[in-house]
Amino acid sequence: MKRILRMSYLAAGIGGLGFFAMSVLLLGVWPARALDRQIRATQPDHPLPLTASEQRGRDTYGHNGCPYCHTQQIRYLDRDVRRFGAATLAWETIFDYPQLWGTRRIGPDLSRESGIHTDDWEFAHLYNPRHMVPDSVMPPFNWMFDGAPDRPKQEARDVVAYLNSLGRNRALAALQGEARARAGCNCSEEEKRLAFDQPSLNASPELPRRDGATPKLVLPADSARGLRLYASACANCHGARGAGDGKGAVGLLPRPTSLAAHEYTADRLSAALWNGVPGTSMPAWRDLPIEDLSALAAVVRSFSRTQFAAAPDEAGKAVYSDRCAQCHGENGAGDGPAATRFPIPSTDFRIQRANPDTARNAIRDGVDGTPMAPWSSQLSDDQIAAVAQYVRGLFRP
Amino acid sequence: MDASARRPGSPHVETRLVYAHGLAAIITLLISVVFGTLAAIELVVPDMASGSPFLNWGRLRYDHTQGILFGWLANAFFAFLYHAVPLLTGRPVTGARLGEWIFGLWNFAVVLPGWILVLAGFSQPLEWAEFPLIIDAFVVLCLILAAIQFLPPFFSRGLEDLYVSSWYIIGSLIFTLFAYPMGNIVPELVPGAKGAAFSGLWIHDSIGLFVTPMAVSILYFVIPASTRKPIYSHFLSMLAFWMLFFLYPLNGTHHYIFSVIPMDAQIGAIAASTLLGVDVIINVTNLLLSVRGAGLFPRDLGLRFVIMSAILYLIVSIQGSVQAQMSVNQSVHFSDWVIGHSHLAMLGFATFAAAGGLIHAWQRISWARYDAAILGWAYWLLLAGLAIMVVDLTTAGLVEAHIWASPAPWINAVRAAKPFWAVRAVLFVPVLAGFMALLAGLIVGPRGGGLKTVQETIGLEPVEEIAPRFAGETV
Repeated sequence: MKRILRMSYLAAGIGGLGFFAMSVLLLGVWPARALDRQIRATQPDHPLPLTASEQRGRDTYGHNGCPYCHTQQIRYLDRDVRRFGAATLAWETIFDYPQLWGTRRIGPDLSRESGIHTDDWEFAHLYNPRHMVPDSVMPPFNWMFDGAPDRPKQEARDVVAYLNSLGRNRALAALQGEARARAGCNCSEEEKRLAFDQPSLNASPELPRRDGATPKLVLPADSARGLRLYASACANCHGARGAGDGKGAVGLLPRPTSLAAHEYTADRLSAALWNGVPGTSMPAWRDLPIEDLSALAAVVRSFSRTQFAAAPDEAGKAVYSDRCAQCHGENGAGDGPAATRFPIPSTDFRIQRANPDTARNAIRDGVDGTPMAPWSSQLSDDQIAAVAQYVRGLFRP
Repeated sequence: MDASARRPGSPHVETRLVYAHGLAAIITLLISVVFGTLAAIELVVPDMASGSPFLNWGRLRYDHTQGILFGWLANAFFAFLYHAVPLLTGRPVTGARLGEWIFGLWNFAVVLPGWILVLAGFSQPLEWAEFPLIIDAFVVLCLILAAIQFLPPFFSRGLEDLYVSSWYIIGSLIFTLFAYPMGNIVPELVPGAKGAAFSGLWIHDSIGLFVTPMAVSILYFVIPASTRKPIYSHFLSMLAFWMLFFLYPLNGTHHYIFSVIPMDAQIGAIAASTLLGVDVIINVTNLLLSVRGAGLFPRDLGLRFVIMSAILYLIVSIQGSVQAQMSVNQSVHFSDWVIGHSHLAMLGFATFAAAGGLIHAWQRISWARYDAAILGWAYWLLLAGLAIMVVDLTTAGLVEAHIWASPAPWINAVRAAKPFWAVRAVLFVPVLAGFMALLAGLIVGPRGGGLKTVQETIGLEPVEEIAPRFAGETV
């Protein structure tokens, strides 16, 4: 009897260890093999591994708890896909040693972070997140900088390099890679819909885009609500009164526009808010309701102090045709033949107008951080004044 | 079976080691709570971390949870094992000297350097595995030493009629020895989604194969030892034990529902999570039936903590079964709901069990100080702090989930959570005060005060009767 009992405990002991082995096989080894097959069938031919800098950035990212507030996994759920973009495929994580999927989201998912923000924005945000997002609770990483957001140490450069790698391979895979993955993924129709059949790979409402339909804004007369919104979303870069002097402006190139020094058409404001301004740190605000965008546009209009009439200037026109039209277009529409490949679109003078000083300064000194070069060595002060006067006359409110 | 032949002599309890691990447990607990409190405050005042990598939120959070797991709970479990294993087996543990080594290595080669390395920026971004790999080597070494320390008494005694607490101890020590390297090392070697499948296993195994069995072992030990009555059903205790060790390891993937991990694995984990709730209902029913007549808040503080632990175990497990369901998980996953759940498990179930076990062992050290009134304060402060925190975080999670499902900007969810985070940060007052009271209750008061309390109430059980009682009772 005792012998049999001993045997039974031995069997139970072995069975117990078997439970553990079974769990590792069923929930570890077997899924990993299935994932392996899927990865082989779906991955693009030459996914880019991380560079040394990106890898260091990844380590820093892990050592400082970033993945404990930012997931890197877009679930196969509409609520995730709508916010962040196409659901995460297994092959997208093949360079992640160890994985950084995360189980908590205080900040947004970062699987598709590359392309949403400029480096300047990332540095300014890393330096002090509240400079860019006033209500953020992210810790400041100013110890990765030499005292200012535009003076990052190597550590910060590495982190930003890493952030710029997130989602890069999926974007590079492009249509061909997506088609291959769709064919090879062996997933349900629902999964295919969430992983492949999305309007865009990156659904971030902040992602700037060069064109695309923009909503028609109806500017309200009352700006009280707009001022509150402006204070919480815009003032940190554009300044409390729109002078482009917010604390977040430090380190951003091009500098945040002085809204007070410009006049804008409603459509121009709609485009800047809805699409962002590509090539600059101005993100898009497609997650705000149209009424909010309208209220913000009204506030921006109210800052404007450039109500001077501008007479057409024939001398200015000659200089403009000679020097400016290649980029800004014959009609000032910002559509010159040289400008099509610029990272930042050339200014369309028909939809915005700078005040005289701002216009002259821009022509004389150029605009830092944009392709607009300084002309002081090429043009006389009179010519600059004439061109400034001319382009201001192109405005069609 | 010839009982008299098996009846051992008085087992020798290494009270020094109980005491040392007990003190280390509460001291590391207080430090861990400070880490957690700083992290909680930084969610309200984020610029507090300005200029210093050492105050970085992520590093504090890593140290908070690792401190709770390795500092507080593990030390408290060691203290309990030094008390319980000799009584359960009628045999001393393998060696006092070995015990000193384990104590020294655990606290000064694992917890302390682990904390420092994490603060210095060396860590591993894997949940419940944040201490860097070098620390893992010492953890595994200590787990091996612990197996050598605590398992031989069971094996030399023989496994016949083994009481359920013994089963949990044996199971926990052996399983953790396997699960720990699997969870800590495999994701470093297997990338991305594949590694996540293994991480998911460890996230659950750390709680399910280490913390839970040890805590349940304490519940099953303290209840009959304090009431001096047999447990309600040995059959149910064994049924629940085997269900737990069968089901718990199969839960892991429920941390990654709706991920790219194969749906069959996800569904299997969800099914196991659901059944686990059934298992816990069986287990807690058995525990509460065993303690019937003692009241919800008995005078014996070890028992009082342990009863609440059993109740919290039931609540947190049913919650776990519910939140593993796809319909619930899609909303509350990633939110503060889960943080509430983990506090209910660790600050609630596990901490109350560990504190109950510690108090119970302390009462039986003839030279240890003991103050029941202060420990009573600890109980109520902790219970109040826990209750408010769980309600607060659960509500925050529901609010976040609601906003995330809407088209509202992401930052709206952060704004909405801030008042809840402020409340949670303030809760450090009752929680820290409660833990300080726990420490005070065990280091002030008269020497042998605990023993006197026991003698005045149920009377002290002759030590040579304890082991046979655990072994021999059947229903």
